Amino acid sequence: MTTQEKWAPLEQSSQDREKIWSKNRTFAGDVWYRFRHKPTAIAGFIIIVLLLLFAFAGPLFSPYSYSDQDLSIVNVPPLMKVYRLPDGSHAFISPALTLVGADSGGSLTGTLPTVRDEADKRMTIFDANGTEVALYYGGAKYVVADEATGNIYPSSYLWNRDHVLGTDALGRDILTRLMYGTRVSLLVAFVAVLVNLAIGIVYGGISGYLGGTVDAVMMRVVEIISTIPLTLYVILIMQIFGQQLKSIIIALGCVYWVSMAQVVRGQVLSLKQQEFVLAARTIGSSTGTILSRHLIPNAMGPILVTATMLIPSAIFMEAFLGYMGIGLKPPLASLGTMCNDANANLRTSPHELLIPAAVICLIMFAFNFVGDGLRDALDPKLKK
Amino acid sequence: MMKKLISLALAGALMLALAACGGDEPGNINDVSPAPSAPASQQPSGAPTSGGAQELTFVLSNEPDGIDPGVTNNSFAKYVLNNCFEGLVTYDESGSVVPGNAESWDISDDGTVYTFHLRDGLKWSDGSPLTAQDYVYAYQRVLTPATAAQYMSMFTDYIVNAKEFYEGSATADELGIKALDDTTLEIALMKPTAYFVDLASMWCFDPVQKATIDANGDRWTASADSYICNGPFKMTAINMGEGYVLEKNEHYWNADSVTLEKLTLRIITDNATALTAYESGEVDGITAIPAADYSRLKASDPGFNSFPSYSTTYYNINCGKPPYDDPLVRKALALAIDRQAIIDSVLQGRGVPAYSYLSPGYVVDGKDITDGRSDNELTAGANVEAARAALAEAGYPNGEGFPTLQLSYYSSDTVKMIAEAMAEMLQNNLGIKVDISSNDWAVFYDSVQAGNYEVAAMGWSADYQHPMSFLPLFKTGDSSNNSFYSNSEYDALVEQVMVESDPAKAAELIMQAEAIAAGDYCCLPLYYGTNTFLMKDYVSGYYMTSSSNLYFQNVKVNK
Repeated sequence: MTTQEKWAPLEQSSQDREKIWSKNRTFAGDVWYRFRHKPTAIAGFIIIVLLLLFAFAGPLFSPYSYSDQDLSIVNVPPLMKVYRLPDGSHAFISPALTLVGADSGGSLTGTLPTVRDEADKRMTIFDANGTEVALYYGGAKYVVADEATGNIYPSSYLWNRDHVLGTDALGRDILTRLMYGTRVSLLVAFVAVLVNLAIGIVYGGISGYLGGTVDAVMMRVVEIISTIPLTLYVILIMQIFGQQLKSIIIALGCVYWVSMAQVVRGQVLSLKQQEFVLAARTIGSSTGTILSRHLIPNAMGPILVTATMLIPSAIFMEAFLGYMGIGLKPPLASLGTMCNDANANLRTSPHELLIPAAVICLIMFAFNFVGDGLRDALDPKLKK
Repeated sequence: MMKKLISLALAGALMLALAACGGDEPGNINDVSPAPSAPASQQPSGAPTSGGAQELTFVLSNEPDGIDPGVTNNSFAKYVLNNCFEGLVTYDESGSVVPGNAESWDISDDGTVYTFHLRDGLKWSDGSPLTAQDYVYAYQRVLTPATAAQYMSMFTDYIVNAKEFYEGSATADELGIKALDDTTLEIALMKPTAYFVDLASMWCFDPVQKATIDANGDRWTASADSYICNGPFKMTAINMGEGYVLEKNEHYWNADSVTLEKLTLRIITDNATALTAYESGEVDGITAIPAADYSRLKASDPGFNSFPSYSTTYYNINCGKPPYDDPLVRKALALAIDRQAIIDSVLQGRGVPAYSYLSPGYVVDGKDITDGRSDNELTAGANVEAARAALAEAGYPNGEGFPTLQLSYYSSDTVKMIAEAMAEMLQNNLGIKVDISSNDWAVFYDSVQAGNYEVAAMGWSADYQHPMSFLPLFKTGDSSNNSFYSNSEYDALVEQVMVESDPAKAAELIMQAEAIAAGDYCCLPLYYGTNTFLMKDYVSGYYMTSSSNLYFQNVKVNK
């Protein structure tokens, strides 16, 4: 190729001038492209999928149910500091100052029987398969020692194999309860979305499109609903339906569509001034058709973003109610009630509070990240 | 996860540091560093009680349903009532009855007329004189239906014409309560009652002031100004839901012996929060110790107090409601509970398995009257086979056809854990379905009294040191009988106990009555309690009777 050829003018055609050189994608494809190129969004999405698996498939693999109690192994943490007893087994000092036996693999064998209490020596003597071992509680930390010589048995750390995340104050498996708790949270998320889509969109759409007196009345109703705190609804509804998940779901259903209705109304108000609505009206489309075929699809971006942003707040609301003790009826577990139960043992068994709290954080992060990602992806102004 | 990594890293660093000092984990218990004690000097300097001020903050675990001594029988009220009011007699540190407002008393030869001689110059906390007429007014008020006194039976069961006065068929003149003059009060009993002086120590026998009640009606207990009392302390602030502020009552007859200037009773319903406040030095004592910290505190806290308690924790079974009117069903429920597991795991060793509602602790001739009584076939552990057999005999083999059992309890961490553990035991051991529900104490207690429950958490802490404190709980028609158990044989025996003046014979009758009711499984006994609370070791002089009354009148703050 000569230099001159390089500088020769290209052949020109109208078609080439109009051609869009970037890859041609549909709107959905475009959104998906932008969504998956945002690492936090995709991480959130993966976490939600994993949580779904954890909550709905997990219990199938757990040997315990959420209500199975074993009062001989209460408040055992996931990582146990154990003392190696003379007979080769291990013992963990429970917060109740009893010894819980464990084998070298980390399987729990139950509380060792107490032989006697030596209050003068500040010791409690336990029977470990025939040998007597002493729990010495006179010091800043409690140790297991030989009664006569006072020699402390060698200690090490063992992972709790039977109960990977430990047990709670009634000896229930925390991992299993966590699965059910997560299930409740995700159920609440699902209900929140459903209510948003079903009531919020229709209500906001009608209010915005019809306008005038109808709009004024409908929006005042929304304002009245949103000024009463959700806690109050839950307490009142519980008086009728009792302390159960249904009450929380009904309360969420009564309230959680109001901000969606406001968003949709705002969108419809501005969209209905545009020409395509006028065109639709001119050809005689009914109000229903205009709303469902023209207005709502055009407002889908803000709708999706609002929905994903409302999910974490609904989940958090449920956890909060559970933590306040007005959530599920025991022994059912939700993340909030698990935190509430653990509160009393906070000093001695912090894992019981930290684990469900961490899962609440994880769920909140995941949904917020996805919501964030969706907002960016749906906004054409941020198109790269 | 991050937390775990950090703590592992810290643990690692600590190990290295120890190794560098030439030490490892201690090899002998003598090398274990001693437990940190909590001397007064460790208190934060910002604590309001510094500088030797005689001020004390004590935490109550629940709000009482009322603080009117004539009305309430709620044990959460005792901290206020025992320190704001003083009746004719009171308790000393050894737990025996000593003169209170009454200097002395005479008992007629037939044991039916008690004449109390009040001290001279008794005054109300507003400075006005307190006379025998005030006592008469207070007792007549208890016997007025509009008062709705929960301890009414303490009067109607014993005092001449009290029941008739209550029902309106006797006049005040006919009532066996009379003020002979300003300082002499005469109480005529229907029958000789050997333990009447013990009874008179209860707060329902405290005087209340007519002037403030006339002026304020039921609201007299709602504000500190109208809450006129006569005890070592007077009310200076009532904060709904928060607590009470009491100050030394300079008009108390023995005010010279009261050192404490200010006593703040703060209500913190969450036991763990209360413990945090205690450990940070914000409060000086707490009533309820969180179950999870009990062992730790017992082993290491110098402020740990344990007093014998004449009390039983049990579950009420609604004997008036099918299928719980069948003793076999109640027996099955009682047999299905593993008391030892509850005591060991939930209560961390605080309590003794109970097989009856009557707590041991009443001694006659050096022998506890409950020694050698029947265990009613109950054991410390659960007896699943026998429980199922009893349920099958009642017509519900393997729990089939048994309606869902409603287990109710009141808001409290420990009570909740026990209820959950019991629900699981009943479901697994009997094969029945159990539904559990909770409410605040006041709401819960209302529904128990109204009989709107099936099985409900309950307990009884004796009001006075005599088994008669327990026996009316299951007597037909007694206002404290909210399990609606009814047995004419039992009622008759209890009536006999009330008039028996020979303690040994009375003990025999008591045990006969107890055997009938406990053998009928009138309730689901769980455990006999001990009273435990925390009070900083710089506080001295407080004492608690076995009827769980805590007295602050001799308290000194030594810091």
